[in-house]
Amino acid sequence: MKTINLILLISLFAISSGFSQCKGFTKKECVPQIKPFTYNGQLNMAVLNPGDVAELVVTFYKGQDYRLFVCSQDNLGKVEFKLLDSERNTLFYNKEHDYVNYWDFHSNATQQLIVQVRVPQVEEEVAVAASGCVSILIGFKE
Amino acid sequence: MKNILFLISLFSLFVCGCNNNQNQNLAEGDTTSLKNDTVHTNRVKKIFYNVPSPIEMSSVIQRSGAQFKSDVLCPYKNLDKYTSTTKQALMLGVYGSDLSYVRLFEQIQLAINYLSSIKKLCDAIEIPEDQGSRAIQRMEKNIDNKDSLLQIISETYASADSYLKDNDRGNTATLVILGGWIESLYIATQISDYANPSNKEIVDRIGEQKYSLGNMIELIKAYPDDKDLQSYLPMLEELKKLYENVNIEYVKGNVVTDETKKTTTIYSVAKVNFSKETFEKIKTLAKQIRTNIVKL
Repeated sequence: MKTINLILLISLFAISSGFSQCKGFTKKECVPQIKPFTYNGQLNMAVLNPGDVAELVVTFYKGQDYRLFVCSQDNLGKVEFKLLDSERNTLFYNKEHDYVNYWDFHSNATQQLIVQVRVPQVEEEVAVAASGCVSILIGFKE
Repeated sequence: MKNILFLISLFSLFVCGCNNNQNQNLAEGDTTSLKNDTVHTNRVKKIFYNVPSPIEMSSVIQRSGAQFKSDVLCPYKNLDKYTSTTKQALMLGVYGSDLSYVRLFEQIQLAINYLSSIKKLCDAIEIPEDQGSRAIQRMEKNIDNKDSLLQIISETYASADSYLKDNDRGNTATLVILGGWIESLYIATQISDYANPSNKEIVDRIGEQKYSLGNMIELIKAYPDDKDLQSYLPMLEELKKLYENVNIEYVKGNVVTDETKKTTTIYSVAKVNFSKETFEKIKTLAKQIRTNIVKL
């Protein structure tokens, strides 16, 4: 009985501390790394668990250069991201590039794109799956 | 046993309470027709929508060779008359867009005036000095440097957005984005002439706002309890109907990745087509929405 109580309390604490850690995470840890691109100013941050997927729907303007930066807490492991077109065809997959956390794009046409981010599943069954912050940042150059 | 049930309830409540309130229409299990990313889409927890910043919108104005028109700006002197948080947040977006426009034409004194108003609005909305308002001193030092000004504007808005969302005020952040987006559309439609070939890029950019409009609507829908935000939905839905007459013909091209430069180029082509009549209707409605936003 005491063990179950303890596990539940630890779970509650782990999630609670995850949320508080997330506060300010993007501003401190991620935004400075988008330079020399100009950050588009919109915070896209979520607390994700292993196996979770988040998506960002964004417009890339014709002729403009963009940097896509996926910033995550280390405890989440190798976070994957893809750039998909509006028909959900894969244009870029960071898994094919050693799980790089940023990549630059240039589009010859204005188009709506989807950035899809996935936190890897944990290998073994654990009592409390670690959650963590993930931010998707978009930078642009004039 | 009661203890366990209590803890489970507390745990469940906490987890549910912390779930993001956005985009509940696209919850777990969304496996829309995907070709290559079925592994990725079995557990979509959160969907974000971004609207291009006014700075991105204004860059096309610079390339078009358009002349500066001060009468399209919203007067910065009216600032003190906006007393509700909703209006102040909307005006923060409006002034940010005006500042992005002013910056293009190196209107130094105007830029200082707009940034001063932005600082006051940040204070009024309770965005702390160290988060959103310190930019004013930096701007005074770098006022003659257009690139520095770009960074200052960008950082000011990024800090404000980040602070508001970190403090569960995403609805206020959305008001800022709405104000900025509408003001950008208003300025673009006011300074461009559909029939002038040199304005083709601006006119196309106005048509391309079809995408941003959809994203803007989704952003607002994420806050169904915010009556002020919701009050703009019917106007935006009306605008969306007009945008149904904007045809964007998209032709896929090659996607080329340069491993050494860490760059991918998407060689697609998009043709934007819409009539002068549709342009004028969009212009009129954008003005109406903007008038609604800036009215005292």
